[in-house]
Amino acid sequence: MTKRRINKVAVLGSGIMGSRIACHFANIGVQVLLLDIVPKELNDKEKAKGLTIDSKTVRNRIVNDSLQSAIKSNPSPIYDKSAVKLIETGNFDDDLPGIADCDWVMEVIIERLDIKQQLFEKVEKHRKPGTIISSNTSGIPIQLMNKDRSDDFKKHFCGTHFFNPPRYLMLLEIIPGPDTGEQVLDFLMDYGKRFLGKTTVLCKDTPAFIANRVGVFSIMWMFHYVKENGLTVDEIDKLTGPVIGRPKSATFRTTDVVGLDTLVHVANGLKDNVPDDEMKHLFEIPDYIQHMVDNDMLGSKTKKGFFKKIKDEKGKSEILTLDLEKMDYVPRSKPKFQSLEMAKAEDNLPKRIKTLFNAQDKAGKFYRDHFLSIMAYVSNRVPEISDEVYRLDDALKAGFGYEMGPFETWDAIGFQEGLKALKEDGVKYAAWIDEMAKSGAASFYRIHEGKQQFWNHLSASYEDIPGQEGTVSLSVAKSKGIVWQNAGTTITDLGDGVLNIEFHTKMNTIGGEVLAGLNKAIDLAEAEYEALVVYNEGGNFSAGANVGLIFMMAAEQEMDELNFAVKQFQQTMMRVRYSSIPVIAAPHQLTLGGGCELCLHADKVVAHAELYMGLVEFGVGVIPGGGGTKEFALRLADELRDGDIRNNQFRHRLMTIAQAKVATSAKEAFKLGYLREGVDEVVMNRTLQLTIAKNAAMAMVEKGYTQPKERSDIKVLGNEGLGLVYVGAETMAAGNYMSEHDRLISEKLGWVMSGGDLSYPQEVSESYLLDMERKAFLELCSTQKTLERLQSMVKTGKVLRN
Amino acid sequence: MNAYIIAGKRSAVGKAPKGKLRFTRPDDLAAHVIQAMLEGVPNLDKEKIDDVIVGNATPEAEQGLNIGRMISLMSLNTDKVPGMTVNRYCSSGLETIAIASAKIHAGLADCIIAGGVETMSPIPFGGWRIVPNAKVAKAHHDYYWGMGLTAEAVAKEYKVSREDQDEFGYQSHMKAIRAIKAGAFKDEIAPLEVEEIFVQDNKRESRKYTFDTDEGPRPDTNIDALSRLRPVFDAKGTVTAGNASQTSDGAAFVMVVSEKMLKELGVEPIARLRAYSVAGVPPRIMGIGPVEAIPMALKQAGLKQSDIDLVELNEAFASQSVAVIRETGLNPDIVNINGGAIAIGHPLGCTGAKLTVQMMHALKSRNEKYGVVTMCVGTGQGAAGVIEMM
Repeated sequence: MTKRRINKVAVLGSGIMGSRIACHFANIGVQVLLLDIVPKELNDKEKAKGLTIDSKTVRNRIVNDSLQSAIKSNPSPIYDKSAVKLIETGNFDDDLPGIADCDWVMEVIIERLDIKQQLFEKVEKHRKPGTIISSNTSGIPIQLMNKDRSDDFKKHFCGTHFFNPPRYLMLLEIIPGPDTGEQVLDFLMDYGKRFLGKTTVLCKDTPAFIANRVGVFSIMWMFHYVKENGLTVDEIDKLTGPVIGRPKSATFRTTDVVGLDTLVHVANGLKDNVPDDEMKHLFEIPDYIQHMVDNDMLGSKTKKGFFKKIKDEKGKSEILTLDLEKMDYVPRSKPKFQSLEMAKAEDNLPKRIKTLFNAQDKAGKFYRDHFLSIMAYVSNRVPEISDEVYRLDDALKAGFGYEMGPFETWDAIGFQEGLKALKEDGVKYAAWIDEMAKSGAASFYRIHEGKQQFWNHLSASYEDIPGQEGTVSLSVAKSKGIVWQNAGTTITDLGDGVLNIEFHTKMNTIGGEVLAGLNKAIDLAEAEYEALVVYNEGGNFSAGANVGLIFMMAAEQEMDELNFAVKQFQQTMMRVRYSSIPVIAAPHQLTLGGGCELCLHADKVVAHAELYMGLVEFGVGVIPGGGGTKEFALRLADELRDGDIRNNQFRHRLMTIAQAKVATSAKEAFKLGYLREGVDEVVMNRTLQLTIAKNAAMAMVEKGYTQPKERSDIKVLGNEGLGLVYVGAETMAAGNYMSEHDRLISEKLGWVMSGGDLSYPQEVSESYLLDMERKAFLELCSTQKTLERLQSMVKTGKVLRN
Repeated sequence: MNAYIIAGKRSAVGKAPKGKLRFTRPDDLAAHVIQAMLEGVPNLDKEKIDDVIVGNATPEAEQGLNIGRMISLMSLNTDKVPGMTVNRYCSSGLETIAIASAKIHAGLADCIIAGGVETMSPIPFGGWRIVPNAKVAKAHHDYYWGMGLTAEAVAKEYKVSREDQDEFGYQSHMKAIRAIKAGAFKDEIAPLEVEEIFVQDNKRESRKYTFDTDEGPRPDTNIDALSRLRPVFDAKGTVTAGNASQTSDGAAFVMVVSEKMLKELGVEPIARLRAYSVAGVPPRIMGIGPVEAIPMALKQAGLKQSDIDLVELNEAFASQSVAVIRETGLNPDIVNINGGAIAIGHPLGCTGAKLTVQMMHALKSRNEKYGVVTMCVGTGQGAAGVIEMM
């Protein structure tokens, strides 16, 4: 049998999910045929234009409108505008034969079994044998959908359940039907992971599958609990947010975003279809929730839900909270819990969860009740919805953005402690937990002989989590012992001569310890290893240099110290490039300022697709001072060919810094010149990023790596560039598009990037530019307005435009 | 020796960069207009033409390599007639007519083709590679100001409100639409057959059309729509795309001859350029240039403002047009009777010649004698010419 490849997919249905799924396939370069229904009648605009129902623009109006609104939506479903060209639109009546060219046909239409069945009947007529067909249903049993279809159809049919928004939410549930071929499932599990970057979770064909079953249970539990225990919406959102490793939108804000009607729909479906669920009474909709549904309080889509945004007389927006007693909106409160305040100091999430679980105040009681109910619930869902605990954890983490799944949470509390609490509180958990306890197991997960293992209740033993072969995990590597550590960094041996350095400062900002760590890692790698990877498993790669530190020195006008600190930053960045070993940066999410500068100096960047990279120093009133300005001048010089009109590239480089442009994806980071075509790489799946970065390091070593020589041939434009800078800044300032201080910073930036007021374009060295860059940085730090910007960032985290 | 204009033609004005002339090269366009003009002078032996003087505000890329000489070769079918290119930004097309007239006055020549061409579609405003003098840019912030900022400065300094500007822009469109409907431009425009060759569905295809009508004027515009446009040069300003001139593609030429040549050809003169003046003003309020230039030209001609029958005041911006009208006390009823650059467009280096051609036709149709063609010019200048019908 030939290898299955996906070159083109058909997405049937262009609603919120369909259009965005189409965009995500286009993101990875797959061609998409996106189809939807033909409108029943002409709209006024079409009538005015004299179109008929046979006109192509009318027939494709629904699909085209959906796609356009998806592309314009925020956050964007596409990495880069060019992706849209891969999406071809059409309608079910005219274009269904086109699915014959597709390798995967995905149905994303209305959740009605009869309509889905009718569509599949038509699909069967056109699809070529062997093509995968899947449904993105979130609730209809897979086994009902392929009724009356051919054997080949059934063999290639399953559920592929994306979560909204599909680009950003990591979960892809794969649900086999009764006849789905093993090869099809294996293929989709792998494809979803490597190509689409998803956490693929193999589910059983049970109501709402895994993530929604448990996630909706958790929310419904909350809906009942909050009312019965006299808690408030603000309190619950405070308690169930980042403090326990869940998204900022916590419980009720998430509900508002998802839409209360959607949630109630799933809950109702569960209530009717899970007769044996011991907690099914919780899927009953509480009266106040029903009242909200009946009164259009559905969340963002109806502009009111648990929260409501209003504007006061001055046009300032304010968010009000629903008071569940009065069922009316009241000003938001800022709930305080003693245990929460204390737990804040604990950076380690598992430790924090344990502390909160054991706390004695109102919050502690909530956490105990909440965690115990979830722990019991998931234990009872094994083996009903999954045989393995890790699938449940994976699904909840990837589908709801939790940092830790329910079994991992239990491990954090302590397996035995959790069990004891369940017994004390009389919460009914599954029998296999007792079996597990009897066997002496102390956790659901462990790292054993370099492998991550889970407790398999079927074999009553620990087993390797599959898929680890050939992959590198930082936690596994660390379990073997760390090489070196300071307050800001940890250096780990990844094996095969490759070291990793991770930052673990707040937001992974770069200060003295991180720079010391980087130097140490390079020293170590040069002396005893072959290569270095810079990678971490925090929420962000790095938010940049430690602005607080810069502000302190600048505010005191300790210019010598500041000069020393900036110089140290520059020298460390230069070592990243000019060392005898290859340094690979593997950034993800926010990679700003100094974090970006680090990547600019790496021999190679292996970026995660979700990369938000930029030189944002203008926001705090300075220019990139860690070699970023120098590096942009260097890259500009390398981009220019003899005889080029130099203005455009010069302006592009300059404006990228001057407008503090942040790439919204790794793909866009190439366009903005932060990443280099042909050198830097993009990885779709975060869990594979370290492995691929390590492999890239090994390949560079294998090929033979020689330390490059510092550059002294950077052609700068001198006065030619400077003239453009002055005129450009004047045009912006005179036109009220930027402040006088912005003009000053722009002119300093332009001065450095031009190499100063040189009479003619000429070649200069990196160290010449670094000195200029540092001087400009320090001069700006001596201005009142830059101090105000730094202060604003330190105190409020907000960019001040002054 | 007097110098007389005996013929004049212009192309219809295309919108840049998306109009019907967007793929027509400036040399092709200019050569076509000259050939159409020469059809009106059938007795002329082309080798007796002394020079082709072409105004152009961005003489580079398609307009570079001394486009004047190239246009001479392309339009006259002889290599005996030289050609040159002249740049005084927006008055270039009038400047060339003045140079031609002066040469003939001085006895240096008997027959000159003068005018201008500008295709703004292919070439960015200001040119491809702008290299300001850093020292000057630092010392004199406003020397390199874009024209939009100068329009804002004029609006502020001369207190021209957003409402006044939008109203002026609206009237420009209405007058131009009226003129086109009445066929006022018909005789002066040289229709052009445009052929575009392109690839569609992997096949080489072509399309042809005749371009003979100015495409800028919008019959559907209204004050409400204009008042909703955002300022484009100053976030807090009043100058919008709706009350500024349009970027355009166009060409216009006249033929200037001596008395000797008149006799030789046996033709009647249409008009003459009676006077021409250029003045300097602060670059920051460039738009006010005509306020200085108009009196200078009138004085040169020995005429009073009241002697003037019609004025073509180039509408670079509504703000400066309104300010000029107010400051000079011009009678608004005789200014731009057929609309101006806000509606029809402003193909920079062509504009002076285009307005001269328009002026001759307007005066002729109204049987009037004196007209003033005037414009503001980049980096703080103003130009004005007095046209006298024969």
